[in-house]
Amino acid sequence: MIVELDAIRGVTLDTIYDSSEGTLIQTCIQCGTCAGACPYGEYMDYPPRRIIKMLQHGLIDKVFNTDSMLKCVNCYACMMKCPREIHLTEVLLQLVKEQTVIKLPVVPPELQKALENNYRYGNPMGESGRKRANWVQTSTVPIRILSQNPEPVDVLWFVESYPAYHPRGQDTCRAIAKILSALDVDFAILGNEEKSAGECGLLSWESGLAEALVDYNMAILSKYKFNRIITSDPHALDAFNFRYKMYGFKPNVTHIVPFVMQYLDKLKPMLRKTLGYSVTYHDSCCLGRHNNYYEEPRTLLKSIQGVKLIEMVHNRINSICCGGGGGGMWLDTYFKSQNMERLSDIRIREAIDTGADVLAVVCPYEIPRFEDALKVAGYDKKMAVKDIMELVCEAMED
Amino acid sequence: MLKIEIEEAASKQWQPKIVAFFCNWCTYTAADLAGVSRIKHAPNIRVIRVMCSGRVDPQFILDSFAKGADGVLIGGCHPGDCHYQEGNYKFLRRFQMLRRVVDSLGIEKDRLRLEWISASEGDKVRIVVNDMVAKIKALGPLGLPVKYKEWANEMNVLESEIAGKEEVYA
Amino acid sequence: MSSTNGKIKIGFYICHCGTNIAGIIDVQKVVDYAATLPNVVVSKHYKYMCSDPGQEMIQKDIKDNELNRVVVAACSPLLHERTFRNATSQAGLNQFYFQMVNTREQNAWVHLDPEASTDKAMDLVRSAVNRVAFHKPLEKKTVPIKPDVLVVGGGIAGIHASLTLANAGKKVYLVERDPTIGGHMAMFDKTFPTLDCAACILTPKMSAVKNHPNITMWTYSEVVSVDGYVGNFQVKVKRKPRYIIDDLCVGCLDCIEACVYKEPRFFDEFNQGLSKRKPVYMPFPQATPQLVVIDPETCIWFKTGKCKQTCVEVCDRKAVDLNQQPTYKEIEVGTIIVATGFQPFDAKKVYYYGYGTYPNVYTALEVERLINASGPTSGEVVMRDGSRPKSIAIVHCVGSRDKNTNLWCSRVCCLYSLKLAHLLKEHTHANIYNFYIDIRTPGKMMDEFYTRISEEGVKFIRGRVADIYPDTNDEEHRRLIVKAEDTLISEIIKVPVDMVVLSTGLVPRDDAQDVRRMLNISCSTEGFFIERHPKLAPVNTFTDGIFLAGCCQGPKDIPDTVAQAGAAAAEALALIDLGYIELEPNTAFIVEEECSGCKSCVPLCPYTAISYDEVKKKASINEALCKGCGTCVASCPSGSIKQNLFEDEEIYSEIDGILNYKMEEALC
Ligand SMILES: Cc1cc2nc3c(=O)[nH]c(=O)nc-3n(C[C@H](O)[C@H](O)[C@H](O)COP(=O)(O)OP(=O)(O)OC[C@H]3O[C@@H](n4cnc5c(N)ncnc54)[C@H](O)[C@@H]3O)c2cc1C
Ligand code: SF4
Ligand code: SF4
Ligand code: SF4
Ligand code: SF4
Ligand code: FES
Repeated sequence: MIVELDAIRGVTLDTIYDSSEGTLIQTCIQCGTCAGACPYGEYMDYPPRRIIKMLQHGLIDKVFNTDSMLKCVNCYACMMKCPREIHLTEVLLQLVKEQTVIKLPVVPPELQKALENNYRYGNPMGESGRKRANWVQTSTVPIRILSQNPEPVDVLWFVESYPAYHPRGQDTCRAIAKILSALDVDFAILGNEEKSAGECGLLSWESGLAEALVDYNMAILSKYKFNRIITSDPHALDAFNFRYKMYGFKPNVTHIVPFVMQYLDKLKPMLRKTLGYSVTYHDSCCLGRHNNYYEEPRTLLKSIQGVKLIEMVHNRINSICCGGGGGGMWLDTYFKSQNMERLSDIRIREAIDTGADVLAVVCPYEIPRFEDALKVAGYDKKMAVKDIMELVCEAMED
Repeated sequence: MLKIEIEEAASKQWQPKIVAFFCNWCTYTAADLAGVSRIKHAPNIRVIRVMCSGRVDPQFILDSFAKGADGVLIGGCHPGDCHYQEGNYKFLRRFQMLRRVVDSLGIEKDRLRLEWISASEGDKVRIVVNDMVAKIKALGPLGLPVKYKEWANEMNVLESEIAGKEEVYA
Repeated sequence: MSSTNGKIKIGFYICHCGTNIAGIIDVQKVVDYAATLPNVVVSKHYKYMCSDPGQEMIQKDIKDNELNRVVVAACSPLLHERTFRNATSQAGLNQFYFQMVNTREQNAWVHLDPEASTDKAMDLVRSAVNRVAFHKPLEKKTVPIKPDVLVVGGGIAGIHASLTLANAGKKVYLVERDPTIGGHMAMFDKTFPTLDCAACILTPKMSAVKNHPNITMWTYSEVVSVDGYVGNFQVKVKRKPRYIIDDLCVGCLDCIEACVYKEPRFFDEFNQGLSKRKPVYMPFPQATPQLVVIDPETCIWFKTGKCKQTCVEVCDRKAVDLNQQPTYKEIEVGTIIVATGFQPFDAKKVYYYGYGTYPNVYTALEVERLINASGPTSGEVVMRDGSRPKSIAIVHCVGSRDKNTNLWCSRVCCLYSLKLAHLLKEHTHANIYNFYIDIRTPGKMMDEFYTRISEEGVKFIRGRVADIYPDTNDEEHRRLIVKAEDTLISEIIKVPVDMVVLSTGLVPRDDAQDVRRMLNISCSTEGFFIERHPKLAPVNTFTDGIFLAGCCQGPKDIPDTVAQAGAAAAEALALIDLGYIELEPNTAFIVEEECSGCKSCVPLCPYTAISYDEVKKKASINEALCKGCGTCVASCPSGSIKQNLFEDEEIYSEIDGILNYKMEEALC
């Protein structure tokens, strides 16, 4: 299902037909599932299906002259439903997107800024790199920072930018730290040495910025001895598993949810508090569709006493993206200018329709996006957005 | 770059030869199916058809190696699917013993392979053959007949030396 | 045979097979090379060796050059060995003085490098030339064919095959797993392309089966074991307890009426769960045989041991027997026809189509029942929520042509989708939208049928459905939105409909692998049984005497199923009327003088063909029982067991040939 990295190393749109990916693309039956599955398909002049036909006819340049691929939020919906299992989101669309961004007369300023910030400060919000580990001081449990104490460690926790800087992300971080120490996990973080992992379609591969970040993080990571990496950001997970690997870096990386699930037997007795919430769970595109973790987050939620899980209309493979992927995080203004509704607004209505008290998420982009969408919908007093780790931590308190 | 060229040149010169014993009902049919489906694979195997993998005598395998095969591949039906109920189990038992003998002769593990390939698995023929050929190419020629000749010569020399000494002592 | 003074004279021939072989292999080079090999006196190539002129060439050479061995390099021996053996024997030579080299399937068709291909061909030719010198004259064994036939599965395929055979005067055992015969066809209302009523054409055939003096019909039964070989299969059939005595029940249905469950409340299999049945039930009004059945899974007596047994009481013929036990029948047949059919794809597996989540999403088979006059709603299209649809989406290719589920096109769903579009329109006057990837209507009258349905105003949308979800603007009705790209106008469309019909594909039965093992036939990895040759032997299997009919071999419509069932019956008849079958003489025998009496071979034979003579202290093989696997041969420590056609010398000479090994060279 998922592309073999060796098959696409160094592939470009000109050489794609010489690769096994090209052979796969030749098998497209033009069924349009991709276009129909795409949350923004109706706004694209060239949805994936047409892109393939244009490519086959040697007319792909026409696609670059439209903003179609700028509207792709890397949600994997097309790819996971494609009856030919063409790796659209992973390979073809990335390549088209890269060309689209290059040919764009003006890069939307918000996106431009985020790219610049990432380059200059190692995080998209333009915060100072020296403040990256500041949140650690607010943690109730001790957190080892490798630059200060470089002893070998079992688990290296790659915190990522949103969790490190965003106040709600920091809430999640404190929760995770608490859970990890309760589980007696030997863990440490990179602290101020860490920089954005570089995923998220902002950075189609081989773009200079992505490479700079990959090189940087690889160099830092190679300084330390650890057994495995965890992260609470599904985008970082994808960066490591699909991009870093192509550069020869092959660590064992897990998302925090499946990681904690390995300790479920130990964790369960600690979840003493009954929460009494009805909860609806939003499948993150990267964790769900792309990495096939549909049931783990649900099982984790259900092991909390008093949690009643209600599904939204679109769930699992059918989940609707929050709109934050593929650079969408910094394209809200642009999308608005194109009369496109924010996906977080669409998604939040489905969440509201469930009548749940809590919208549980597993990706750091989603908390700010959904909290904002709730405000717009005027429903923010009745529903809270929480990371699953926050809920687990809450249940651990006596 | 250069390395690859050299490797290619070397591989042009030397092509491993693999003797294969395929059972009539599953693996031989699968190899035919690969043909009907035009599934291309390495041209290094030479198939001997037997009715069942159970017919494969360990001596056939040792003989093949001794006479110059670089590898031997045995293909039979999946466990439980043998046309004669359990010929493949019987062969499996022999194979495990044979494996030890072959090891002790210093013949590398990758040169002897047993695969269950059903009549519908044309593509598996490709995968197995290509993989085996690649591994044997990496190992290089086995060349037992040449080695035997060398050993025989050494033995002759030794024998004549001994004979010479014996003469002296006599 | 002409005298050759004991000298071996081999004729070698390589076939071009048009360009199939000659396009990659340098046939001239092979011929030149073969001419240099020991004992080869004739070496030729020809465009089509299997053609009459090709065969005549061999025969002429045998006579003119006193050949006594023949080697042909052509296609696979599995295809044409028989042809060339015949040619050889027609020229007066024993047919086993022949050896074939697989030069097409296992060489020209699978390699790209002409040089390597030619090398391979030469190696194998050398090997065959070596081997054929050791060949011995042999005679084919013949075994008599028992005239009785077993048909497994009583769908339209099994029904048609049984009737054909029975009409030809053969005794047929028809074994059906369900309580009634009829299979899927019995569930349909009408059939494409002619729209004739399924019951009207099927029911007469079902009763013909029931009443035919030559057919023994065992419903609610399963084949549990098959032993033996073509001509003489020993079959064991399990007759599951129906808890009804067949001979006494007259199908009056009083027991159903009298059941302690006043209302039906269990999943009705025949109606796909759209209605309920009681623990004692008749699957459908025309069920054949007209016998009720008691389902122990739902009957309270079997679950708790407590019940007033009103069914037993009410039956004045004393036909209800709650103590019935399974019985086993053992029969001997000469041939077997497998007609176990298909099962519909489980629509839940395409999660985003909402089957099982949204009540108004239906499978096609459910709709077949809904529009059936004798169905759960007497032919009224009333949905699970009690409403009647005003707009309906029919989604093609569900579980077909999709790498995530099944790769194949199920062949009938386009056509039955058109049929359902017509019938639903007729019953409901609703707007109908068919979402398709490609409309596939091959076959006689089929595309005309498509035109007819188009004229009726059914809307066609070319795009695979990407999402189905409830329309939030419509609270009480639970209308559904069907989302797809209409690829012909490049627009994403969202069509609100009241009902969705999923045209699920045809997949192999869950137990296909078990059936295959029991019968010793092959099936694809997916589970459809494999025919011996896709073009030339479409109903034969690799196992002699076992034939295929209907959807167990692959998806097909009723006309093709019936045609195939007829063909399978004809193949069985051909064997039966000949009365015997020739078998390969590849049996094993023991050279008594060499047998050390160690007994290691005795337990190895799966057919207990080997016995030990306590007096002579020697083992011996019963030729009639030996199937020729060669397992004992390979394991005799004193090398005293030999196998005809696969003697040790023959195999060693092949090895020598392949490796171009020459004893003399090795020693010097
Ligand atoms: C929704 C739908 C609509 C269709 N409409 C049409 C149409 O209008 N026109 C048309 O031409 N075709 C139509 N078809 C195709 C048609 O159903 C098939 O061509 C036909 O039913 C095949 O018959 P069969 O006997 O091979 O298989 P089946 O009908 O599946 O019958 C097989 C029988 O074997 C029995 N069986 C299975 N395993 C065993 C076992 N191990 N032991 C004993 N018995 C066993 C089963 O119980 C069953 O009775 C339709 C198919 C579907 C799914
Ligand atoms: S879903 Fe796949 S097969 Fe269908 S049009 Fe898109 S890329 Fe092609
Ligand atoms: S990845 Fe998502 S947003 Fe991008 S084209 Fe595919 S479906 Fe659309
Ligand atoms: S017959 Fe039609 S609906 Fe069925 S799989 Fe083939 S193309 Fe799809
Ligand atoms: S060849 Fe096989 S079937 Fe024949 S006697 Fe030996 S073991 Fe039995
Ligand atoms: S027949 Fe294939 S292994 Fe026995």
